Amino acid sequence: MAVSKSNVAVLAEEPIRIGSGGGFWGDRPLAPVDLLKSDDLDYMMIDYLAELTLSIMAKQKRRDPSSGWATDLEIWLAAGGIDALRKKSVKLVTNGGGANPESCARMVLEQAAKIGWHECKVAVISGDDILPRLDYLLKNGEELTHFESGETISDNGAEMMSANAYLGAGPIASALEIGADIIITGRVADASLLVGCMLHSAGWAYNAFQLGLTRESPVVDWAPKHITNPLDILAQWTIAGHLIECGAQVCGGNYSNWDEVPNLAALTLPIAEIYLNSDVKITRGKGGGGMVNRKIVSEQLIYEIGDPEAYITPDVVVDMRNITIEDESEDVVIVTGAIGKPEPKSLKVSAAIEGGWFASSSLLISGPNALARATACDLALRARLSALEELEIYTEFIGGGVTLPKNIRQQLSPILNPPEVLLRWAATSPNRRNITDFTREVAPLVLTGPAGVGGYGARTKPRRQLQFWPTLISRKSVESLVKIEHLTHLHITPESERFHFIRKRTRGFISRLQDELDEREWTRPIVKKLGWERNDSIADLTILKEKEVEI
Amino acid sequence: MSEIVWIPLSDLAHGRSGDKGDSFNIGLIAHKKKWLEILEVSVTPKLLDEWYGDSVTGLISVWSMPGIGAINCLLRGGLGGGATTSLMLDAQGKIWGQSILRMRVPVNRKLASELGVSLNNQSENQWDMSHII
Repeated sequence: MAVSKSNVAVLAEEPIRIGSGGGFWGDRPLAPVDLLKSDDLDYMMIDYLAELTLSIMAKQKRRDPSSGWATDLEIWLAAGGIDALRKKSVKLVTNGGGANPESCARMVLEQAAKIGWHECKVAVISGDDILPRLDYLLKNGEELTHFESGETISDNGAEMMSANAYLGAGPIASALEIGADIIITGRVADASLLVGCMLHSAGWAYNAFQLGLTRESPVVDWAPKHITNPLDILAQWTIAGHLIECGAQVCGGNYSNWDEVPNLAALTLPIAEIYLNSDVKITRGKGGGGMVNRKIVSEQLIYEIGDPEAYITPDVVVDMRNITIEDESEDVVIVTGAIGKPEPKSLKVSAAIEGGWFASSSLLISGPNALARATACDLALRARLSALEELEIYTEFIGGGVTLPKNIRQQLSPILNPPEVLLRWAATSPNRRNITDFTREVAPLVLTGPAGVGGYGARTKPRRQLQFWPTLISRKSVESLVKIEHLTHLHITPESERFHFIRKRTRGFISRLQDELDEREWTRPIVKKLGWERNDSIADLTILKEKEVEI
Repeated sequence: MSEIVWIPLSDLAHGRSGDKGDSFNIGLIAHKKKWLEILEVSVTPKLLDEWYGDSVTGLISVWSMPGIGAINCLLRGGLGGGATTSLMLDAQGKIWGQSILRMRVPVNRKLASELGVSLNNQSENQWDMSHII
């Protein structure tokens, strides 16, 4: 049974084991429970935030002050996850708090209360959200220039919808040092989730506390005196975090040789094993499917990176060029050779401004010369909308080579003759009305286009796009906040009706997942039991499912 | 007989891609580490530019990662504005890491056979698409 190790002597003998509970908000919700049950871990980390997830969460929070966090977390905690964390003494570190770590922590405490875990300490890490201070920051020298386009906020003039700085590992390590069991953060850099655990387990955070260093100080300075290469150690930890942050993608998911992966259906999650000498091993959960080998881990090392000489995190800049990955034994690889350089002077900020209106729609086209029919459909749609100004329509002939570059596709088009084409349009406009008009012109093509057009559905609703605004901010402008909440201090704020509804639905989902977990198969014909066959509308199905939830 | 032949990239490497704003990167890992020297010479920004044409509007960079026998290619301005505003179905560029494996790359026939690279699918013509159709 794993216990939390926070002294170096223990670390020398056996590694710290850190599991990854998934790769994003929307990944398989029960997989973390399986990993907790099958394996002994010291920590579980989950990165729930893609580049723009926070903007979506910020939007939710504006509608409802108790929302804006990764609801998947509640699903698996309620489905036996919270119990497994407690029984197996596994610390959970996740950035699923998103735009509202306080409310997320309250949910976690509710879950802890339900299993009688009254002493559970939940840390809330915030300070990443710079939106409330935006005016102040802009007046005090921060330009927040878009680092791809070079545009400044004042040039653009658009309203910022969300702006979150990437915090590093320091606050996580501080929270662990003061005894947190579960750590809920806002925007913390993906790999820093793991680095925070190691700063604690390897005794660096304790040392920093002894030296009186703040959690905003460079974590490289936290290393005990006898450590001669702290930057390289930070680099190794960071790479370990990078390798497992996308969950099953390092266990055979999204792998080029996908046909070699055993039991893809039951893919397990990865575990990083970290030794005192900073060796990193990557392995996977026991049981289930998938595999870990040199080629798979190499694919993940290179995933979503830029210049391999400078993989930048708030904690360290990693030179990846000489990292080696070798197979050690079945499902175990060893990763060595990361080189660390001092932390960057600035922190990355993911921000978003409001974009235009958007909708997409598609039709299925079949018959002889399907591609020509699809082209005729597209031309007709565009002609019918030609009077509208400021409407951009993008067409994809799926099956006609859309996953090849345009010039290659054009070379091939004379000889391509697919049996069918999925004709897909996406449209954008600053004017909502234009998008509504676009969605109204799609279904009529079934009756007013060439023969062989099908697959139309309900009109899609226009939705507002968010425009990503990546930028940098100086470190001194960002300060993290660490707060420990436990049950005696729990304040449950009344949930607004809307979020209550969402939560209720989530709980319904939990009960279904719980059944799935118990039965291990999809045996429950929910709709059948309720006699749904006699109802043919989708709306009725929704109502009946809600009733099922009430029962 | 020409010294240079064109083989599908899939015979030389495997890959994975993902997005960063309006850019996407493709990591290409040589099937055998010793094939990196061929991969480095074959897959250049110029070759990628020829393959992608108008589909990529910005700068293309290629870096070597000798430790794992791989190269990393960064293609800027290829996602129609990036995940949130792109009108493309695959706005995150997830497919490019597999789609590119069909690109033909130039290899030195002698060196490739010495290092054991399969030349079964070779062609004299960069734009021979018989392996795609």
